Amino acid sequence: MQSILAVDDSASMRQMVAFTLKSAGYNVIEAADGQEALDKARGQSVNLVLTDQNMPRMDGITLVKNLRGLPGYSSTPILVLTTESSDDMKAKGKAAGATGWLVKPFDPGKLIEVIKKVIR
Amino acid sequence: MNKANPPHNAQPTSERSAQRVQSLAQNTLAGQQAARECAAIAADLGRLKALIAEAGDTLLASFNRVAAMAPQLSCNVSERRALDSAVGSAVTALQFQDMAAQLTGHAQRRLTVLQNCVHTMSADGTDPLLADTRLQPVKQNGMGAGSIDLF
Repeated sequence: MQSILAVDDSASMRQMVAFTLKSAGYNVIEAADGQEALDKARGQSVNLVLTDQNMPRMDGITLVKNLRGLPGYSSTPILVLTTESSDDMKAKGKAAGATGWLVKPFDPGKLIEVIKKVIR
Repeated sequence: MNKANPPHNAQPTSERSAQRVQSLAQNTLAGQQAARECAAIAADLGRLKALIAEAGDTLLASFNRVAAMAPQLSCNVSERRALDSAVGSAVTALQFQDMAAQLTGHAQRRLTVLQNCVHTMSADGTDPLLADTRLQPVKQNGMGAGSIDLF
């Protein structure tokens, strides 16, 4: 079973994301902020990372930069799922190494479609 | 200046002082009123946040119960499709709690800045922190699904 690391400081969002991913057959590892996600990513490999942008301790773009520096994460798909929709933020995400930028709220069917397209 | 013939528009010192005191009093009253309004808005925002959190938690708990039962329900293909579609729509709609929390949080931060301004406002400008809080992250006006960009 493929594993997805889902990162969001909102418990309700994590719940919606986890429900959607588990319903589609993925194993879900949850983290409440970038730092926790980075710690969990160090201990195991995942097939995809889905992260929020605005979080305490470490934001999504910083997490992307840090993950790209970890062994085994140079080509792991990383999707940013956020309320931020400005072109400036998207450009920062792209420059950090994100694979894609999804604006909340997400449609479960479309989210799974995108994940299937990019997951390794 | 000729003391015997002061300019036509000159005011006696006592009158100028009285006007200054009156102006200060008005400013103080306006400041107090602004502070009271800010406090009332802050209280309303706090209540709104609590109401949203309570409604969101209740809806999530209900959703979880329904979602857990849904796979066990015996239904035909079209009913299953309709059920999955309804669950999917609920997943999208239930994300309102996160977005509303971000919006109210942003409004609270701006209000705090405004409250500080009321206390410290000077004649030469506003608190530079106001500029930092102008850009709020949530631009969405509805709960339709957002955009997707793959790089």
